Amino acid sequence: MSQVQIESEIPIKKHLATRTRLLRVKNQCIRFISMQKIGVISALFILLVIAVAILAPVIAPYDPVAQNREAFLSAPTMQHLMGTDDLGRDVFSRIIYGARISLLVGFATVIISIILGTIIGMISGFFGGIVDMVIQRIMDSIMAIPALILALFIAALLGPAVQNVIIALVIIEIPRFARIVRGEMMRIRETNYVEASRSVGANSLRIIMKHGLPNMMAPIIVMASLAFGQTIIAEASLSFLGIGTPPPNSSWGLMLSNASRYMESAPWLVFFPGLALSLLVLAFNLLGDALRDFLDPKLSS
Amino acid sequence: MGEYIVRRLIYGVLVLFIMVTFVFVVMRAVPGDVVTLQLADSGATEEQIQALETELGLDKSMIAQLGDWLTGAFQGDLGNSLWSGLPVTEIIGDRLPVTLQLSLMSIVLAILIGIPVGVISAVKHNTFIDHLLRITSVGGLSIPNFWLGLILLTGFALVFNWIPPLGYQSFIENPVVNVQQMILPAICLAITLSASIVRMTRSAVLEVLHSDFIRTIRSKGAKERVVIYKHALRNSLVSVITLIGLQVGYLLGGTVVLESIFSLPGLGSLIFETVSARDYPVVQASVLIFGAMFLLVNLFVDVMYGWVDPRIRNS
Repeated sequence: MSQVQIESEIPIKKHLATRTRLLRVKNQCIRFISMQKIGVISALFILLVIAVAILAPVIAPYDPVAQNREAFLSAPTMQHLMGTDDLGRDVFSRIIYGARISLLVGFATVIISIILGTIIGMISGFFGGIVDMVIQRIMDSIMAIPALILALFIAALLGPAVQNVIIALVIIEIPRFARIVRGEMMRIRETNYVEASRSVGANSLRIIMKHGLPNMMAPIIVMASLAFGQTIIAEASLSFLGIGTPPPNSSWGLMLSNASRYMESAPWLVFFPGLALSLLVLAFNLLGDALRDFLDPKLSS
Repeated sequence: MGEYIVRRLIYGVLVLFIMVTFVFVVMRAVPGDVVTLQLADSGATEEQIQALETELGLDKSMIAQLGDWLTGAFQGDLGNSLWSGLPVTEIIGDRLPVTLQLSLMSIVLAILIGIPVGVISAVKHNTFIDHLLRITSVGGLSIPNFWLGLILLTGFALVFNWIPPLGYQSFIENPVVNVQQMILPAICLAITLSASIVRMTRSAVLEVLHSDFIRTIRSKGAKERVVIYKHALRNSLVSVITLIGLQVGYLLGGTVVLESIFSLPGLGSLIFETVSARDYPVVQASVLIFGAMFLLVNLFVDVMYGWVDPRIRNS
């Protein structure tokens, strides 16, 4: 129905269509808030972490790399809420700054993977045939190596740096998005409305943009939320192994790696960074679940 | 069925070939090579560098090297380590059992925890216990397994004053020490896996419990226990098996970090050690073995479907 309005050449109708769409988005948001309480709480928690990460210089009580020789390996006190590490650096401040790395790697990886994965998946699904076959063999080959092993291989080759972690994680995430988009694309290609637009002379690119993209938003959003959690864990794992974010940055994985040397004398060093990591991943997983229940009731139990 | 398996195996070989070629080319294309690493700080002359290159067979073109390696690989010869000179098959043979044992222990533990908990969650559908179990399982999915490893190590050391015995011993050499070394990392890997098994079992059992044939069985007067264990659970097994197939990749990836924390000499830590040393043949072979394991498990899972669910077998 609404497609007729959007395709119209008359400006007023176009304006109306935009307004209807905005209204629909607003209604969807209201429905999500009333139906998915856990999802909303998770989203709020994620927003809070983003705010803390942005405002890190204001919130953090200490410089995250400032060493304090008076207080090293100090247990949590009022001055140091989560204690200090072996160089006397404040753990609380380092965790706040660590959120920046996790979120940066998470957002960069997920956004780049969505863009590249969508382009590859669309080409594959829309053209089919030999193009599809070649792309799929490559995607299958990437997915045939366990994700973390491939990430480890790429990150170790490229050397420890944040951008190399992102490159490694993008490579392992692309096939997952490409597969979803390809599947949706092949399904949509067969539908009546695409055939109808083709019969009125719309070209391939226009069909993809007008009918393909909007229909794929739901599965991509759900996948993105779940991939975000996995990406954050992967970044921490690589940093833990010493091939991710390089010191003296305060990445949570790096903090845990350092903490593992003081497990018995300073257990709080092991506890807090891991807790921060788990809570953020939990929030993304719960949000992903809630979005899936909301956007695609077929998939939920 | 036989034809299907053969077709899948041929396809698997193709995928492995693309994968190994990628690893082969990428490793040689990025900065840093094994010759420079080996002769670092020795002030070697240009001639010495070239001599070493010739000795290691790295002076040939990349295509010739790849051809040589692949020819060898098809005959079961994966080359020699560029550092120790030992045959790669021997090195892998030492490391692979550790990773296999760790993975198997985790899968068994995960099933033992996951399926019963999932069934309880489904049977007690929408009660307090169900909510509690669901929250716990999402939590289990979100905890990074290496953190769990550190927490367990710290906890056991502080509370029981116990740390796993140092110095790896195989199960055949010393089963008691071996299990003590393996149990904590296996638990860490099993927890995440069992969390997803719980979720999958719960939704699969629930779906079956609401289907028509279960109503028929109930109306015949079957006991609830029979309904759940004989019918609902059996019908849910397909999805649980699929899940395990899908999660094997995660499991194998997780072994890398846990082998490093618990100092286990497995295949994961082998890749980790040899990528930075640019020991090309060893990395190629390890990636190949990981890929092959992953593909074989998934093939096995697909064959298992037919065994569990005759509807798929016949179609």
